[in-house]
Amino acid sequence: MKKLWTLLLAGVVLQACQKSDDEASGPLQNDLLKKTTGPAVVGDRMEFAYALGTLEGQLKEVRVEATIAGGTGTGFSRYSWYTNRNTGVDQPVQTASDTTTTGAVSTASLLGGENQSAVTLRYYYAPTEEAKGRDVRFRFSGTSSTGKEVRFESPAYRISRMDMKRTLQLTDGAKAYVSIADMAVYTKEEVERNNLAAKIDFVYLYRPTLSGFTFGHAWVAPSRSEYLSDVSLPAGLTTRTLMDKRVDVKDAQLRGTAGFDVYIDDIDLERTTFTNASDYAFGLTADQGAFVKTANGAYAAYVYVNAVNNTEKSMTVSIKRLQLN
Amino acid sequence: MKRHYLFILLGLLALSCTKMPIDETGLLITTRSQCYMTFFDLLGSDHRTVLVSGQTKIDTEAQTVTAVARFGTNLQRVKPYCSVVTDAIVEPTMGIWTDYTQPQQYTVVSGNRTVRKTYTVTVTLQQ
Repeated sequence: MKKLWTLLLAGVVLQACQKSDDEASGPLQNDLLKKTTGPAVVGDRMEFAYALGTLEGQLKEVRVEATIAGGTGTGFSRYSWYTNRNTGVDQPVQTASDTTTTGAVSTASLLGGENQSAVTLRYYYAPTEEAKGRDVRFRFSGTSSTGKEVRFESPAYRISRMDMKRTLQLTDGAKAYVSIADMAVYTKEEVERNNLAAKIDFVYLYRPTLSGFTFGHAWVAPSRSEYLSDVSLPAGLTTRTLMDKRVDVKDAQLRGTAGFDVYIDDIDLERTTFTNASDYAFGLTADQGAFVKTANGAYAAYVYVNAVNNTEKSMTVSIKRLQLN
Repeated sequence: MKRHYLFILLGLLALSCTKMPIDETGLLITTRSQCYMTFFDLLGSDHRTVLVSGQTKIDTEAQTVTAVARFGTNLQRVKPYCSVVTDAIVEPTMGIWTDYTQPQQYTVVSGNRTVRKTYTVTVTLQQ
Protein backbone atom coordinates (compact mmCIF):
# COMPACT_ATOMS: atom_id res chain seq x y z
CA MET A 1 0.00 0.00 0.00
CA LYS A 2 2.90 2.32 0.86
CA LYS A 3 4.46 1.60 -2.55
CA LEU A 4 1.25 2.58 -4.31
CA TRP A 5 1.12 5.94 -2.54
CA THR A 6 4.76 6.60 -3.48
CA LEU A 7 4.02 5.91 -7.14
CA LEU A 8 0.96 8.17 -7.10
CA LEU A 9 2.96 10.97 -5.51
CA ALA A 10 5.72 10.62 -8.09
CA GLY A 11 3.13 10.83 -10.85
CA VAL A 12 1.62 14.01 -9.46
CA VAL A 13 5.08 15.59 -9.14
CA LEU A 14 5.94 14.71 -12.75
CA GLN A 15 2.65 16.15 -14.02
CA ALA A 16 3.26 19.39 -12.12
CA CYS A 17 6.71 19.75 -13.62
CA GLN A 18 5.42 19.60 -17.24
CA LYS A 19 4.99 22.99 -18.89
CA SER A 20 1.61 23.66 -20.43
CA ASP A 21 1.55 24.28 -24.21
CA ASP A 22 0.49 27.89 -23.77
CA GLU A 23 3.33 28.58 -21.40
CA ALA A 24 5.82 26.97 -23.76
CA SER A 25 4.81 28.98 -26.83
CA GLY A 26 4.18 32.34 -25.18
CA PRO A 27 1.34 34.81 -25.39
CA LEU A 28 1.68 35.33 -29.18
CA GLN A 29 0.89 32.34 -31.37
CA ASN A 30 0.44 31.68 -35.08
CA ASP A 31 -0.65 29.01 -37.53
CA LEU A 32 -0.87 28.57 -41.27
CA LEU A 33 -3.38 26.93 -43.56
CA LYS A 34 -2.91 26.48 -47.30
CA LYS A 35 -6.34 27.02 -48.78
CA THR A 36 -5.58 26.22 -52.41
CA THR A 37 -5.91 22.52 -53.11
CA GLY A 38 -4.90 22.45 -56.77
CA PRO A 39 -1.45 22.53 -58.34
CA ALA A 40 0.43 25.83 -58.27
CA VAL A 41 0.31 26.96 -61.89
CA VAL A 42 1.58 30.17 -63.46
CA GLY A 43 -1.54 32.21 -64.16
CA ASP A 44 -3.27 31.14 -60.95
CA ARG A 45 -2.65 32.13 -57.33
CA MET A 46 -1.96 30.07 -54.22
CA GLU A 47 -3.99 31.17 -51.23
CA PHE A 48 -2.90 30.90 -47.61
CA ALA A 49 -4.67 31.82 -44.38
CA TYR A 50 -2.18 33.05 -41.76
CA ALA A 51 -3.66 33.19 -38.27
CA LEU A 52 -2.25 35.17 -35.33
CA GLY A 53 -3.45 35.57 -31.79
CA THR A 54 -2.03 37.34 -28.74
CA LEU A 55 -2.87 37.33 -25.06
CA GLU A 56 -0.94 40.56 -24.45
CA GLY A 57 -1.39 43.88 -26.26
CA GLN A 58 -2.55 44.02 -29.90
CA LEU A 59 -1.29 42.55 -33.13
CA LYS A 60 0.90 44.96 -35.05
CA GLU A 61 2.37 43.59 -38.25
CA VAL A 62 2.65 40.42 -40.30
CA ARG A 63 5.33 39.61 -42.81
CA VAL A 64 6.09 36.80 -45.22
CA GLU A 65 9.18 36.07 -47.24
CA ALA A 66 8.96 33.67 -50.17
CA THR A 67 12.06 31.83 -51.35
CA ILE A 68 11.16 32.88 -54.92
CA ALA A 69 9.61 36.29 -55.55
CA GLY A 70 5.98 36.06 -56.70
CA GLY A 71 4.41 37.81 -59.66
CA THR A 72 1.64 40.37 -59.96
CA GLY A 73 -1.07 39.71 -57.41
CA THR A 74 1.27 38.45 -54.71
CA GLY A 75 0.68 39.88 -51.25
CA PHE A 76 -1.57 40.08 -48.23
CA SER A 77 -5.21 40.97 -48.50
CA ARG A 78 -6.37 43.75 -46.21
CA TYR A 79 -9.44 41.73 -45.32
CA SER A 80 -10.23 38.84 -43.05
CA TRP A 81 -13.46 36.93 -43.46
CA TYR A 82 -16.21 35.78 -41.17
CA THR A 83 -19.40 33.86 -41.80
CA ASN A 84 -22.56 35.81 -41.15
CA ARG A 85 -24.63 33.51 -38.97
CA ASN A 86 -27.90 34.90 -40.23
CA THR A 87 -27.17 34.52 -43.93
CA GLY A 88 -24.39 31.92 -43.99
CA VAL A 89 -22.48 34.15 -46.38
CA ASP A 90 -18.79 34.92 -45.85
CA GLN A 91 -18.20 38.63 -45.36
CA PRO A 92 -15.00 40.64 -45.39
CA VAL A 93 -13.72 42.66 -42.45
CA GLN A 94 -10.86 45.07 -42.93
CA THR A 95 -8.05 44.06 -40.59
CA ALA A 96 -4.97 45.61 -42.21
CA SER A 97 -4.44 49.30 -42.83
CA ASP A 98 -1.74 48.83 -45.40
CA THR A 99 -0.18 45.97 -47.37
CA THR A 100 2.97 46.05 -49.48
CA THR A 101 4.96 43.60 -51.56
CA THR A 102 8.56 44.29 -52.49
CA GLY A 103 10.41 41.50 -54.22
CA ALA A 104 9.88 38.32 -52.22
CA VAL A 105 8.71 40.11 -49.06
CA SER A 106 5.11 41.03 -48.34
CA THR A 107 3.94 42.87 -45.24
CA ALA A 108 0.67 43.98 -43.72
CA SER A 109 0.27 46.62 -41.02
CA LEU A 110 -2.67 45.68 -38.88
CA LEU A 111 -5.26 48.21 -37.86
CA GLY A 112 -4.64 47.62 -34.16
CA GLY A 113 -7.27 48.75 -31.69
CA GLU A 114 -8.66 47.12 -28.61
CA ASN A 115 -10.28 44.18 -30.29
CA GLN A 116 -7.46 43.18 -32.59
CA SER A 117 -5.90 40.42 -30.58
CA ALA A 118 -6.60 37.72 -33.20
CA VAL A 119 -6.75 37.86 -36.99
CA THR A 120 -6.54 35.52 -39.96
CA LEU A 121 -5.06 37.24 -42.97
CA ARG A 122 -5.15 35.96 -46.52
CA TYR A 123 -1.86 35.79 -48.40
CA TYR A 124 -1.80 35.18 -52.15
CA TYR A 125 1.21 33.99 -54.08
CA ALA A 126 1.32 34.20 -57.86
CA PRO A 127 3.99 31.84 -59.26
CA THR A 128 6.16 33.23 -62.04
CA GLU A 129 7.83 31.66 -65.07
CA GLU A 130 11.08 31.64 -63.09
CA ALA A 131 9.53 29.42 -60.40
CA LYS A 132 8.33 26.69 -62.79
CA GLY A 133 9.41 23.23 -61.67
CA ARG A 134 11.01 24.61 -58.48
CA ASP A 135 10.05 24.41 -54.82
CA VAL A 136 8.91 27.51 -53.01
CA ARG A 137 8.75 28.00 -49.22
CA PHE A 138 7.29 30.77 -47.12
CA ARG A 139 8.54 32.20 -43.85
CA PHE A 140 5.66 33.93 -42.08
CA SER A 141 6.13 36.08 -39.02
CA GLY A 142 3.97 38.31 -36.85
CA THR A 143 4.65 40.93 -34.17
CA SER A 144 2.56 42.34 -31.37
CA SER A 145 2.53 45.76 -29.71
CA THR A 146 4.47 44.30 -26.77
CA GLY A 147 7.41 43.52 -29.06
CA LYS A 148 6.84 39.77 -29.16
CA GLU A 149 7.43 37.93 -32.46
CA VAL A 150 6.37 34.52 -33.80
CA ARG A 151 7.42 32.70 -36.93
CA PHE A 152 5.98 29.95 -39.11
CA GLU A 153 7.98 28.07 -41.74
CA SER A 154 5.80 26.54 -44.43
CA PRO A 155 6.64 23.24 -46.10
CA ALA A 156 7.97 23.32 -49.67
CA TYR A 157 5.44 23.58 -52.49
CA ARG A 158 6.38 22.48 -56.01
CA ILE A 159 5.42 24.93 -58.74
CA SER A 160 3.98 23.18 -61.77
CA ARG A 161 5.86 23.09 -65.07
CA MET A 162 2.56 23.47 -66.90
CA ASP A 163 1.44 26.54 -68.81
CA MET A 164 -2.17 27.58 -68.57
CA LYS A 165 -4.27 29.76 -70.82
CA ARG A 166 -7.90 30.46 -70.06
CA THR A 167 -10.87 31.45 -72.22
CA LEU A 168 -9.65 31.24 -75.77
CA GLN A 169 -12.47 32.08 -78.14
CA LEU A 170 -12.86 29.81 -81.19
CA THR A 171 -15.19 30.59 -84.08
CA ASP A 172 -16.01 28.28 -86.96
CA GLY A 173 -14.66 29.72 -90.21
CA ALA A 174 -12.77 32.53 -88.47
CA LYS A 175 -10.61 32.08 -85.34
CA ALA A 176 -10.57 28.36 -85.87
CA TYR A 177 -6.89 27.35 -86.02
CA VAL A 178 -5.48 26.31 -82.66
CA SER A 179 -1.78 26.13 -81.88
CA ILE A 180 -0.77 24.33 -78.68
CA ALA A 181 2.83 25.54 -79.08
CA ASP A 182 1.63 29.16 -79.07
CA MET A 183 -1.40 28.57 -76.81
CA ALA A 184 -3.27 30.75 -79.28
CA VAL A 185 -6.01 30.71 -81.90
CA TYR A 186 -5.57 32.12 -85.40
CA THR A 187 -7.63 32.89 -88.48
CA LYS A 188 -6.78 31.39 -91.86
CA GLU A 189 -5.27 34.73 -92.93
CA GLU A 190 -3.09 34.92 -89.84
CA VAL A 191 -1.83 31.39 -90.39
CA GLU A 192 -0.91 32.17 -93.99
CA ARG A 193 0.51 35.64 -93.33
CA ASN A 194 2.73 34.49 -90.46
CA ASN A 195 3.60 31.12 -91.97
CA LEU A 196 2.18 29.20 -89.00
CA ALA A 197 1.01 26.06 -90.82
CA ALA A 198 3.42 23.76 -88.97
CA LYS A 199 2.23 25.08 -85.62
CA ILE A 200 -1.48 24.44 -86.15
CA ASP A 201 -2.58 21.39 -84.19
CA PHE A 202 -6.28 21.29 -84.93
CA VAL A 203 -9.13 23.12 -86.58
CA TYR A 204 -12.34 24.00 -84.78
CA LEU A 205 -15.59 23.52 -86.68
CA TYR A 206 -19.27 23.18 -85.93
CA ARG A 207 -21.58 21.06 -88.04
CA PRO A 208 -24.87 19.87 -86.51
CA THR A 209 -24.62 16.80 -88.73
CA LEU A 210 -22.04 15.35 -91.07
CA SER A 211 -22.88 12.67 -93.67
CA GLY A 212 -26.30 12.44 -92.03
CA PHE A 213 -24.94 11.67 -88.56
CA THR A 214 -24.72 13.85 -85.47
CA PHE A 215 -21.41 15.71 -85.41
CA GLY A 216 -21.61 18.97 -83.42
CA HIS A 217 -18.64 20.96 -82.16
CA ALA A 218 -15.38 19.35 -83.20
CA TRP A 219 -11.60 19.62 -83.18
CA VAL A 220 -10.05 18.02 -86.20
CA ALA A 221 -6.35 17.65 -86.96
CA PRO A 222 -5.40 18.62 -90.53
CA SER A 223 -4.52 14.96 -91.20
CA ARG A 224 -8.20 13.97 -90.83
CA SER A 225 -9.29 15.36 -94.19
CA GLU A 226 -12.67 13.58 -94.41
CA TYR A 227 -14.07 15.81 -91.65
CA LEU A 228 -12.56 18.95 -93.19
CA SER A 229 -13.75 18.42 -96.75
CA ASP A 230 -15.86 21.60 -96.77
CA VAL A 231 -13.25 23.75 -94.98
CA SER A 232 -10.93 26.00 -96.96
CA LEU A 233 -7.69 25.27 -95.11
CA PRO A 234 -4.56 27.42 -95.26
CA ALA A 235 -1.84 25.94 -97.42
CA GLY A 236 0.61 23.51 -95.86
CA LEU A 237 -1.49 22.11 -93.03
CA THR A 238 -0.61 18.43 -92.52
CA THR A 239 -0.11 17.79 -88.80
CA ARG A 240 -1.56 14.70 -87.13
CA THR A 241 -2.38 15.71 -83.59
CA LEU A 242 -3.43 12.92 -81.24
CA MET A 243 -6.60 13.45 -79.21
CA ASP A 244 -8.38 11.50 -76.50
CA LYS A 245 -11.80 12.85 -75.70
CA ARG A 246 -12.93 13.01 -72.05
CA VAL A 247 -16.29 13.82 -70.59
CA ASP A 248 -15.46 13.59 -66.90
CA VAL A 249 -12.34 15.73 -66.40
CA LYS A 250 -13.73 19.05 -65.21
CA ASP A 251 -10.49 20.74 -64.19
CA ALA A 252 -11.24 23.34 -61.51
CA GLN A 253 -8.55 25.77 -62.71
CA LEU A 254 -9.57 25.62 -66.35
CA ARG A 255 -13.20 25.81 -65.36
CA GLY A 256 -12.42 28.85 -63.23
CA THR A 257 -15.07 28.12 -60.64
CA ALA A 258 -14.86 26.99 -57.05
CA GLY A 259 -16.49 23.83 -55.86
CA PHE A 260 -14.74 21.45 -58.22
CA ASP A 261 -11.79 19.50 -56.92
CA VAL A 262 -10.51 17.80 -60.05
CA TYR A 263 -7.14 19.05 -61.23
CA ILE A 264 -4.89 18.18 -64.13
CA ASP A 265 -1.37 18.06 -62.73
CA ASP A 266 2.03 17.67 -64.40
CA ILE A 267 1.98 13.93 -63.88
CA ASP A 268 -1.31 13.54 -65.74
CA LEU A 269 0.13 15.12 -68.86
CA GLU A 270 3.47 13.32 -68.49
CA ARG A 271 1.85 9.90 -68.22
CA THR A 272 -1.09 10.21 -70.57
CA THR A 273 -0.68 7.58 -73.25
CA PHE A 274 -1.92 8.15 -76.75
CA THR A 275 -1.64 4.61 -78.10
CA ASN A 276 -3.95 4.38 -81.12
CA ALA A 277 -5.51 7.73 -80.19
CA SER A 278 -7.60 9.43 -82.86
CA ASP A 279 -6.76 12.72 -84.51
CA TYR A 280 -10.18 14.31 -83.95
CA ALA A 281 -12.77 14.79 -81.24
CA PHE A 282 -16.35 15.67 -81.98
CA GLY A 283 -19.70 15.96 -80.25
CA LEU A 284 -18.00 18.24 -77.72
CA THR A 285 -20.12 20.14 -75.26
CA ALA A 286 -19.41 22.34 -72.24
CA ASP A 287 -17.42 20.71 -69.41
CA GLN A 288 -15.89 18.16 -71.73
CA GLY A 289 -12.41 18.15 -73.20
CA ALA A 290 -9.59 16.12 -74.65
CA PHE A 291 -6.02 15.19 -73.90
CA VAL A 292 -3.97 16.33 -76.85
CA LYS A 293 -0.44 15.52 -77.97
CA THR A 294 1.20 17.57 -80.68
CA ALA A 295 2.42 15.79 -83.79
CA ASN A 296 6.09 16.47 -82.98
CA GLY A 297 5.66 15.09 -79.46
CA ALA A 298 6.81 18.37 -77.93
CA TYR A 299 3.67 19.10 -75.92
CA ALA A 300 0.90 17.27 -74.11
CA ALA A 301 -2.12 19.31 -73.18
CA TYR A 302 -5.61 19.13 -71.84
CA VAL A 303 -8.04 21.29 -73.78
CA TYR A 304 -11.19 21.99 -71.82
CA VAL A 305 -14.49 23.27 -73.24
CA ASN A 306 -15.83 26.14 -71.13
CA ALA A 307 -18.81 26.90 -73.35
CA VAL A 308 -20.30 26.23 -76.79
CA ASN A 309 -22.71 28.29 -78.83
CA ASN A 310 -24.56 26.59 -81.67
CA THR A 311 -26.03 29.80 -83.09
CA GLU A 312 -22.75 31.66 -83.27
CA LYS A 313 -20.84 28.46 -84.12
CA SER A 314 -18.34 29.24 -81.42
CA MET A 315 -16.60 27.64 -78.48
CA THR A 316 -14.64 28.90 -75.48
CA VAL A 317 -11.74 26.72 -74.40
CA SER A 318 -9.01 26.74 -71.77
CA ILE A 319 -5.70 24.89 -72.03
CA LYS A 320 -3.18 23.36 -69.66
CA ARG A 321 -0.01 22.41 -71.45
CA LEU A 322 3.22 20.64 -70.53
CA GLN A 323 6.41 20.65 -72.57
CA LEU A 324 7.55 17.04 -72.92
CA ASN A 325 10.90 17.52 -74.64
CA MET B 1 -31.96 -38.90 -30.90
CA LYS B 2 -29.20 -36.83 -29.33
CA ARG B 3 -26.59 -38.90 -31.13
CA HIS B 4 -28.49 -38.36 -34.39
CA TYR B 5 -28.14 -34.58 -34.09
CA LEU B 6 -24.47 -34.97 -33.26
CA PHE B 7 -23.90 -36.87 -36.51
CA ILE B 8 -25.72 -34.21 -38.51
CA LEU B 9 -23.62 -31.51 -36.89
CA LEU B 10 -20.40 -33.40 -37.59
CA GLY B 11 -21.51 -33.94 -41.17
CA LEU B 12 -22.17 -30.22 -41.62
CA LEU B 13 -18.82 -29.37 -40.11
CA ALA B 14 -17.05 -31.77 -42.44
CA LEU B 15 -18.87 -30.27 -45.41
CA SER B 16 -17.95 -26.72 -44.42
CA CYS B 17 -14.30 -27.73 -44.26
CA THR B 18 -14.30 -29.09 -47.83
CA LYS B 19 -12.10 -26.89 -50.03
CA MET B 20 -13.69 -25.68 -53.28
CA PRO B 21 -11.09 -25.59 -56.03
CA ILE B 22 -9.98 -22.20 -57.36
CA ASP B 23 -8.25 -21.36 -60.60
CA GLU B 24 -4.93 -19.55 -61.03
CA THR B 25 -6.67 -16.15 -60.82
CA GLY B 26 -8.36 -17.04 -57.53
CA LEU B 27 -11.82 -17.57 -59.00
CA LEU B 28 -13.96 -20.43 -57.73
CA ILE B 29 -14.30 -23.45 -59.98
CA THR B 30 -17.89 -24.62 -59.66
CA THR B 31 -20.00 -27.41 -61.09
CA ARG B 32 -21.81 -25.33 -63.70
CA SER B 33 -21.29 -26.33 -67.31
CA GLN B 34 -23.27 -23.55 -69.02
CA CYS B 35 -21.10 -21.53 -71.32
CA TYR B 36 -22.33 -18.50 -73.25
CA MET B 37 -22.10 -14.72 -73.58
CA THR B 38 -25.17 -12.66 -72.64
CA PHE B 39 -24.16 -9.03 -73.28
CA PHE B 40 -21.47 -7.07 -75.12
CA ASP B 41 -20.50 -3.40 -74.97
CA LEU B 42 -17.72 -1.24 -76.33
CA LEU B 43 -16.55 2.03 -74.74
CA GLY B 44 -14.71 4.93 -76.37
CA SER B 45 -11.88 7.00 -74.89
CA ASP B 46 -14.46 9.02 -72.96
CA HIS B 47 -15.68 5.78 -71.33
CA ARG B 48 -19.09 6.00 -72.95
CA THR B 49 -20.59 3.34 -75.16
CA VAL B 50 -19.86 3.70 -78.85
CA LEU B 51 -22.34 1.06 -79.98
CA VAL B 52 -25.55 1.87 -81.80
CA SER B 53 -28.40 0.89 -79.52
CA GLY B 54 -30.32 -2.25 -80.52
CA GLN B 55 -27.89 -3.38 -83.22
CA THR B 56 -25.72 -5.74 -81.17
CA LYS B 57 -26.44 -9.40 -81.93
CA ILE B 58 -25.06 -12.28 -79.90
CA ASP B 59 -25.45 -15.65 -81.62
CA THR B 60 -24.70 -18.32 -79.02
CA GLU B 61 -24.94 -21.15 -81.56
CA ALA B 62 -22.68 -19.65 -84.18
CA GLN B 63 -20.62 -18.14 -81.34
CA THR B 64 -20.50 -14.71 -82.91
CA VAL B 65 -21.10 -11.18 -81.77
CA THR B 66 -21.83 -8.47 -84.31
CA ALA B 67 -22.19 -4.85 -83.33
CA VAL B 68 -22.33 -1.47 -85.03
CA ALA B 69 -20.27 1.46 -83.73
CA ARG B 70 -21.48 5.00 -84.18
CA PHE B 71 -20.28 7.22 -87.02
CA GLY B 72 -16.83 8.57 -86.32
CA THR B 73 -15.82 6.00 -83.69
CA ASN B 74 -12.09 5.41 -83.49
CA LEU B 75 -12.17 1.61 -83.58
CA GLN B 76 -8.45 1.42 -82.95
CA ARG B 77 -8.93 2.46 -79.33
CA VAL B 78 -12.03 0.99 -77.70
CA LYS B 79 -12.57 -0.96 -74.53
CA PRO B 80 -14.76 -4.13 -74.64
CA TYR B 81 -16.96 -5.42 -71.83
CA CYS B 82 -19.29 -8.41 -71.72
CA SER B 83 -21.53 -10.41 -69.44
CA VAL B 84 -21.45 -14.20 -69.32
CA VAL B 85 -23.55 -16.94 -67.71
CA THR B 86 -23.06 -17.51 -63.96
CA ASP B 87 -19.54 -18.62 -62.92
CA ALA B 88 -18.14 -18.51 -66.47
CA ILE B 89 -15.03 -16.50 -67.31
CA VAL B 90 -13.65 -14.89 -70.46
CA GLU B 91 -10.18 -15.26 -71.94
CA PRO B 92 -8.35 -13.05 -72.66
CA THR B 93 -9.51 -10.50 -70.12
CA MET B 94 -11.69 -7.73 -71.51
CA GLY B 95 -11.63 -4.12 -70.27
CA ILE B 96 -8.39 -3.07 -71.94
CA TRP B 97 -7.91 -0.75 -74.92
CA THR B 98 -8.22 -2.91 -78.00
CA ASP B 99 -8.01 -2.41 -81.75
CA TYR B 100 -11.35 -3.49 -83.26
CA THR B 101 -10.57 -2.68 -86.86
CA GLN B 102 -10.29 -6.47 -87.20
CA PRO B 103 -12.63 -9.08 -85.58
CA GLN B 104 -11.47 -10.14 -82.13
CA GLN B 105 -11.84 -13.56 -80.51
CA TYR B 106 -12.73 -14.28 -76.90
CA THR B 107 -13.24 -17.65 -75.26
CA VAL B 108 -15.99 -18.16 -72.71
CA VAL B 109 -15.06 -20.88 -70.22
CA SER B 110 -17.75 -22.56 -68.10
CA GLY B 111 -17.83 -22.53 -64.30
CA ASN B 112 -16.45 -26.09 -64.15
CA ARG B 113 -13.70 -25.01 -66.61
CA THR B 114 -14.38 -27.92 -68.93
CA VAL B 115 -16.52 -26.27 -71.63
CA ARG B 116 -14.87 -23.62 -73.81
CA LYS B 117 -16.58 -21.66 -76.55
CA THR B 118 -14.74 -19.15 -78.69
CA TYR B 119 -16.75 -16.13 -79.82
CA THR B 120 -15.75 -13.95 -82.73
CA VAL B 121 -16.65 -10.30 -82.15
CA THR B 122 -17.05 -8.16 -85.24
CA VAL B 123 -17.71 -4.44 -85.01
CA THR B 124 -18.52 -2.35 -88.07
CA LEU B 125 -18.82 1.41 -88.36
CA GLN B 126 -22.16 3.09 -88.90
CA GLN B 127 -22.30 4.01 -92.59
